[in-house]
Amino acid sequence: MIKFILNGEEVTSNANPNERLLDVLRNEFRLTGAKCGCKEGECGACSVILDNRLVNSCMVAMGSIEGSTVLTIEGYSKTERFEMLSKAYADVSAVQCGFCIPGMMLASECLLAENPNPDEEEIRRAISGNLCRCTGYNAIVKAIQIAAKEGKGLW
Amino acid sequence: MVNSYFTTSLDEALKIKNTKPVTPYAGGTDLMIEADDQASYLFLNKIAELKQITEDEEYIRIGACSTYSEVLHHKLIPQILKDAVIELAAPAIRNLGTVGGNVCNGSPKGDSVLIFFVTDSLLHLQSMSGERFIPIKEFYLGRKKLAIREDELLVEILVPKNGIDNYYYKKIGARNALAISRVSFAGILDTEDGRIKNCATAFGAVSDVVVRRPDIDQMMIGKTIDEAKGIKEKYLAAYDEAIVPIRGRVSAEYRKSVCQNLLQDFLETNGI
Repeated sequence: MIKFILNGEEVTSNANPNERLLDVLRNEFRLTGAKCGCKEGECGACSVILDNRLVNSCMVAMGSIEGSTVLTIEGYSKTERFEMLSKAYADVSAVQCGFCIPGMMLASECLLAENPNPDEEEIRRAISGNLCRCTGYNAIVKAIQIAAKEGKGLW
Repeated sequence: MVNSYFTTSLDEALKIKNTKPVTPYAGGTDLMIEADDQASYLFLNKIAELKQITEDEEYIRIGACSTYSEVLHHKLIPQILKDAVIELAAPAIRNLGTVGGNVCNGSPKGDSVLIFFVTDSLLHLQSMSGERFIPIKEFYLGRKKLAIREDELLVEILVPKNGIDNYYYKKIGARNALAISRVSFAGILDTEDGRIKNCATAFGAVSDVVVRRPDIDQMMIGKTIDEAKGIKEKYLAAYDEAIVPIRGRVSAEYRKSVCQNLLQDFLETNGI
């Protein structure tokens, strides 16, 4: 039995300790915001925040998260910071198919939490593990810049 | 039935390693690519003793389960290692992947491994029956073949503190992030009173093990820069013979000429 905090609530899972956190989130907890793109840490679509750091949930075995804190896009979507980012993404049409967006938003959150005034290079580095096949990234970078500017004080 | 073990104590982990056929799990970023339901993992990622970064008189001692992000943000870590880590994968992988995992994965493409080779770092191995320190060059016996016993865990990597400030590092990948090294190269040239005190080079991703040839680099040691220029051709020729790349994602010919160019650039950067 693995005990951890999921989106603010203490939960237990009977999953095989070798199972991927991604699969358990989607199948056991029915949290389908984290997407399975590649299962090898190459695309970032499954990003979640584990103990305050961005990780690819496909690269995390359940047995390694005993006592950890996991925040998925579902939990994050209840925050004011999410509202700000969501609006900024929408304002500049930074979302097309949407598959990368839960991961992209969490990568944006981790960047701004560490560095509330990132320059363009820092933004591109922060989202470098999150692949987007639709937008060409420029709109996403712009959205993060807008959120940083308009959300002053939130991060 | 799956038998995986989670512990927060190094003693406990060593006890398990002593009796059970477990695969140590540090960051998981290599293991989970081929996630195996039936594997027996020993989860080491929450053992505080394996995540410390400290120093003694001679070495920076990096706990094997320190993640790349922890390494990147730690003030004791030498810049040469930070330069390699910043180009490694992407933030989410750097938050999980560990230096010990990189070493024990046994690949010649490991980006931090190359730095441990060029700095002649030591590995601290521990088991219930004792501990030993071995140079990383002796740890790599062949591709995925390592000089670690069944009952041992890698607990620390010891990077020498002195003589590694004047370095050269280049990674050739297909893109800026999430790129596996096609060729990587690191060189160190330490001079004192106008003479070369130490010359060290390492080539990653070219053959089964990182190429580190102190016997060739020896040529440069004790020479002035002018004298080094005089033996440059001989030195380059020795490496030309020593580097026999295997074909991988890119051709052996490509790898070879990149190695030669990087070595030459390293020398030229140092006025040789």
